[in-house]
Amino acid sequence: MMGSTLWRRRHGWWAAAIFAALVGGAAPLHADEASDPAPVAITTADLKGVSTPSADDLAKGDPGGTLTGSAADIVMADPKAGLTIADLVNQVGQNRIAINFVWTLVTGFLVMFMQAGFALVETGLCRAKNANHTMMMNFMVYGFGMFAYWVMGFALQQGGSAGITNLGGMNPLNGEFKLSLFGKDWGLFGTKGFFLSGSSYDVGVMVLFLFQMVFMDTATTIVTGAAAERWKFVAFGISTFFLGAITYPLFGNWAWGGGWLSQLGGNFHLGHGYCDFAGSGVVHSVGGLTALAVALIIGPRIGKYNRDGSPNAIPGHDITMVLLGCFILAFGWFGFNPGSTLGASGAGSLRIGSIAVNTMLAGATGSFAAVLYMWIRFGKPDASMSGNGLLAGLVAITAPSGFVNTVGAAIIGFSAGFLVCLSVEFVERVLKVDDPVGAISVHGTCGLWGVLSLGLFADGTSNYGGSWNGVEGSVTGLFYGDAGQFLAQLIGVCTLVGVIFTLSYVFNWLVEVFVGQRVSAEAELEGLDLPEMGALGYPEFQLVTPGTGHSVDVGR
Amino acid sequence: MQILAILMLLGGWMIAVGGLVTSDALAIRFVLAFLGLGTSLAGLVTLNQTHVQNAIWKKGRH
Repeated sequence: MMGSTLWRRRHGWWAAAIFAALVGGAAPLHADEASDPAPVAITTADLKGVSTPSADDLAKGDPGGTLTGSAADIVMADPKAGLTIADLVNQVGQNRIAINFVWTLVTGFLVMFMQAGFALVETGLCRAKNANHTMMMNFMVYGFGMFAYWVMGFALQQGGSAGITNLGGMNPLNGEFKLSLFGKDWGLFGTKGFFLSGSSYDVGVMVLFLFQMVFMDTATTIVTGAAAERWKFVAFGISTFFLGAITYPLFGNWAWGGGWLSQLGGNFHLGHGYCDFAGSGVVHSVGGLTALAVALIIGPRIGKYNRDGSPNAIPGHDITMVLLGCFILAFGWFGFNPGSTLGASGAGSLRIGSIAVNTMLAGATGSFAAVLYMWIRFGKPDASMSGNGLLAGLVAITAPSGFVNTVGAAIIGFSAGFLVCLSVEFVERVLKVDDPVGAISVHGTCGLWGVLSLGLFADGTSNYGGSWNGVEGSVTGLFYGDAGQFLAQLIGVCTLVGVIFTLSYVFNWLVEVFVGQRVSAEAELEGLDLPEMGALGYPEFQLVTPGTGHSVDVGR
Repeated sequence: MQILAILMLLGGWMIAVGGLVTSDALAIRFVLAFLGLGTSLAGLVTLNQTHVQNAIWKKGRH
């Protein structure tokens, strides 16, 4: 670093001089094209701006920030040859990729922090006697899921996704297993990138892995909410590993990794094929439907239903925790959706502004709709359902966020807010499935709605580098003239319900048979903290379960 | 019943995807997609019924 600084001090002035000569030499070319309306000509007058700080300036420092960053900072391939046009062009290209790397990584970090939000929401909505267990599931899902994804999940999902131009376009992930049926190729899973080794030891692949990994972890943590307060920890670990290694990556490949759903446009002329900008289907529906599968198998909590099938409310223990968690999730969603451009520079990535606003709007309208519904129906603006309404709006806008305008986003979020309330009642009262946090409704139902809403509301204005899923033009929904796009989304929903749910159900049924999914009735009544985790979440409190008369004296 | 439900779930998906390869007409593809989704959802309800029938609260154990 020191050598580099000295070099800059000595040679900065002639680097600027060479730059001036090069641009000056190009000036006549621009002059010849003066009749063209668009280009802004670079003239010798512009060269006045090309300067480098003197040795005295460097010694003084730059409190105003006007001297830092100049031609002297451009990396030269051959310092002896001086600054060349090739150096400038390469620097511009690398700067674009650097911006995109930083953007994708930082938004990935935001998504990672969503785990904290999920942990707070789920723990707050559960009873205090299960606080340690619920929090630990949300904590360990990060490690279990990540390990599975590193071993094989990422390879199955992205191993055939080819180069991503926003991340440099390198192409080490170039193996997709395909079946050839009915004259078409059906991509099923990737074959490169196991353990991130071999040719996938690449800087762009690492950025992609981090971003995709935190998405997968979001899907796995959805399940813990629906199965909370009765799930055996070992069964949770096995189920999470399978979801991170197989189920999630399979659908991820079909939608994002170049698999058959993404090719419905090219193969069957259905719009741009199945589109899912940030994962209403890939992340939330997969998580929500797996949550439904596990909740079916594991059964309702003791005391949830009476003998006549009528449900009892089992309130959570900390609503402040729940709403704080919702705020953290809403904050993290600004990584989830805008980050899914995988860049902030080039190929239409500046749409991140629109995506962020859509995200914000849908969350707000979702929360508003849920409060309205609960207030009208039950006479009070229910806090937990207003939180779920916020999350429902965010889940629903996740798929269409990159393709719709603000009016569409507001409608999608608002309808999701209503939908989640109806779905929670339907799941609890009609299906009689016990979901302590509403995960099936928030992520499953509203995730599917998000997938479909893209096919309705995509307004045809977003064009990420000219094509999406290899089909020229912009993604356009039914309301804007492309019924084929809606059909592609419908096929995606059929796949989620028909294949992904079934796969999750069968695997978790096998876990039930060989390991057992549910804790004993005694452990459930006592609370899972001591029997499963060996320590209470709140050791200085006496915990009493209302209605059961069962208490745990933890004061001793 | 569980096997039947699983077959309905998978069968629904096959109906929907089968529509893509059997016809180029968008209307027919739509009809088959909705039919397939309906079949899968019916399978889901059937599967749920098998679990509700054996639910612990129904047997009065808890």
